[in-house]
Amino acid sequence: MANAFVAAFEILSFGAIIVLIVLGLGIIASMMGIFNFAQGEFVLLGAYITYLAHAKGLPIWAGMVAAPFLVGALGFVLEALIIRRFYAAPIVAMLGTYALGLIIRESVRGLIGGFYLTVPEPIGGSIDIGAMHISAWRFTIIVITLLVMGGCYLLLSRTSFGLRVRATLENPSLARASGISTPLIYGATFAFGAALAGLAGALIVPVFSLFADLGLRFLIQGFVAVMVGGVGSFIGPVAGAGVIGTLSAALPWVMAPVVADVLVFVLAIVFIKFRPQGLIAGKGV
Amino acid sequence: MPKAMGAVKQTIPAEIGGDMDAAVGSSGTAAKAAAGRKVLPIVEGVVLVAALLAPLVLQDYLTVFATRVIILALFALSFDLVWGYAGIMSFGQALFFGSAGYGVALLARDLDITNIFLVLPAGTLIGLTFALLLGGFLLLGRHPSSVIFVSLGTLTGSYAADRLARGWYYLGGQNGIPSIAPMSLGGYEFSEGPAFYYLVLGILVVVYLLCRFLVRSQFGLALAGLRENEQRIAFFGYKAQHLKAIIFAIGGAIAGLAGSLYAFHEGFVWPNMVGVVVSTQVVLYVLFGGSGTLIGAVIGAVIVEGVSFWLSDNYRDIWPIILGLLLLLVILFRPLGLISFVLGERERVGSFGVKIKETRNAP
Repeated sequence: MANAFVAAFEILSFGAIIVLIVLGLGIIASMMGIFNFAQGEFVLLGAYITYLAHAKGLPIWAGMVAAPFLVGALGFVLEALIIRRFYAAPIVAMLGTYALGLIIRESVRGLIGGFYLTVPEPIGGSIDIGAMHISAWRFTIIVITLLVMGGCYLLLSRTSFGLRVRATLENPSLARASGISTPLIYGATFAFGAALAGLAGALIVPVFSLFADLGLRFLIQGFVAVMVGGVGSFIGPVAGAGVIGTLSAALPWVMAPVVADVLVFVLAIVFIKFRPQGLIAGKGV
Repeated sequence: MPKAMGAVKQTIPAEIGGDMDAAVGSSGTAAKAAAGRKVLPIVEGVVLVAALLAPLVLQDYLTVFATRVIILALFALSFDLVWGYAGIMSFGQALFFGSAGYGVALLARDLDITNIFLVLPAGTLIGLTFALLLGGFLLLGRHPSSVIFVSLGTLTGSYAADRLARGWYYLGGQNGIPSIAPMSLGGYEFSEGPAFYYLVLGILVVVYLLCRFLVRSQFGLALAGLRENEQRIAFFGYKAQHLKAIIFAIGGAIAGLAGSLYAFHEGFVWPNMVGVVVSTQVVLYVLFGGSGTLIGAVIGAVIVEGVSFWLSDNYRDIWPIILGLLLLLVILFRPLGLISFVLGERERVGSFGVKIKETRNAP
C-alpha cells in the first residue's frame, strides 16, 4: 500500500514536471505553428539563473521568481530579431531555433564547465503521511504546475489578451483588419512561452541538478507530447504531456527501464500516425 | 503512369525555366552562369583533384582525419538526397548510419566477418532496411503525413535508438563496441592510412556519380517537383508518397554504407552514432555547403569538419558557439548555403532533357 502510494506520487510528480515543460512548448506550437527547438535551452537558462542567484548568495526563491521574467524578456528580443523571419516556413523555423538553442546551450556549457551543479530545494524536508514520506519540493512542484496551468487557461480563455491571441491564431488577416497588432501578439506569445520554460527550468533544477544538456533531455519528450496531445489548442499539448509524462514514469515500474523508455516513443509515434490530429482536435483554448 | 510522365516532361521544364528567369535576373553570379559558363563541373573537378592529391601532401595523422571527413561527406550526401532534393526533413539520418555501424561491428565481433565484400553490402542493406521500415511507416499511408510529423518522427526514432543502444548490454551499453577488427580483403587488412583513404574516396566518387545520374533523371525531376510543390506532382499522376519512400530508402542505404565504413575506420561504435547529435551534425554539413546540390553536401562536410578540427586545438570551448552563429547566419541570409556564392540558381536547379532551348529558339 505504502509502496503503491509512493509510486503514484513519483508518477504524478514526473507527470507534473513534463506538463510544466510542455506548457510553453505547446503554447508556441499551437498559437504560432513553430516547433521551437530552443525551448529546451530556455529551460536550461531558467535553471542557470536560479543557480546564479544561489551562487551569489541570494535566496533561491528570488532566482526562481526572476527566471521566468528574464527568459521571457530574452524570448521577446529573439522573436523580434530572428524568429519573426521564420513564420512562413516551419522546417526552416526548426533549423533556425535549433541553431539558437545550440548557441545558448554551448554558451551555458562554457560558463558552467562540464559539471553537474546542485541547487538545494527552497522547501526542503518531506511531508509525512502516516508512515509515508513524500518530498515537500516535489509536492510544491505539483501544486505550482496546477496553478500555472489554471492561470494559463484563464489567461487564454477569459482575458482580452487571450482573445486577441486566439483571434490571431484563427485568422491572422482578419485579426489585423480588426486592429490587432499581430506582430506584437506573436512577440508576446513567444515571450510567454519562453517565460514558462524559464519557470519550469527554475523549478526543476533542485530535482535534476544543473548540467548543459538539461533542456535537451526534455525537448524530444516535449515534442512528442505536443504531437500526441494535438497542435492547435492549449489543452491538447497539456493532455499529451500528462499522458507521456505518466507513461514514462509508470512503465519502468512494470518492465525493464530500457524497454519502457523506447516503448513510450514507439507508442507515441504509432498513435500520432493513426490519429494525426492528436488526442484533442480543434483550435482554440 | 507513363502517360502522365510524358505530360510532365513537357510541362515542368517550361515552369522551372519561367521561375528561373526571374531568379537569374536578380543575382549577379547567376547571370554569369546564364551566359553559358558552367560552374558546377569546375567546382566538382577542383574538389576531386584536391581530394586525390590530399594524402600526398598531408601528414599521416591528417590523412586519417581526411578519411573520416570523406566518410562523413558520403553520409552528408545521403541526407542531401533526402532533404535537398526531395524535401523530406530527416532529422534522424544517424539512425541508418549508426545502426549499420552497429550491425557490421556485431558481424565482426560475433561472427568474425570482416571481408569487405560482405560487410559493406551488409551495412548498406541494414541502412536500406531500417530506412524502408521507418520511411514506409512515416511516409506511406492513406493520408499524406505532414512535414512536421516526418521530421519529428525521424528525430524521435533516432533518439529512441540512442536510448536503446545506451541501455542494451548486448550492444555494449554506454561504451559501445570497442576494438572492431579491421576490414579485410583476402589477406590484406585495411588499416588507417592512404589505402583506406583512396578506398573511401573511390566509393564516394562512385556513389556521387550514381546520385548525380539519379537527380538528373526523370525521377530526380519528379523529386524536385515534390520539393517545390507536392500537390502539383500528385495531380500529375505521380504517387508522391511512393517517390518519397523510395528516395528515403536510397538515402538510408547510402547512410548505411557510410556508417559501416565509419565503424571500421574508427574501430569502434558508440551510442552517439545513432543519436540526435550525429543526426543534427549531418544537417549542419548540408545547410552550410548548400542543400540541393550534391557537391554542396561534400563541401559542407569538409568545411565544417576541417574548421572544427583546426579550431578545436585553441578554441575548443567556443567553437560550437561559433558554429551555431554561423549556422544561424547561413539560414537567415544564405538559405542555399555557401555554394550559392559561386553557383547560380539556374545551374543549381539544372536543365532536364534538351528541349528547353530548342522550344525557346523556335519561332
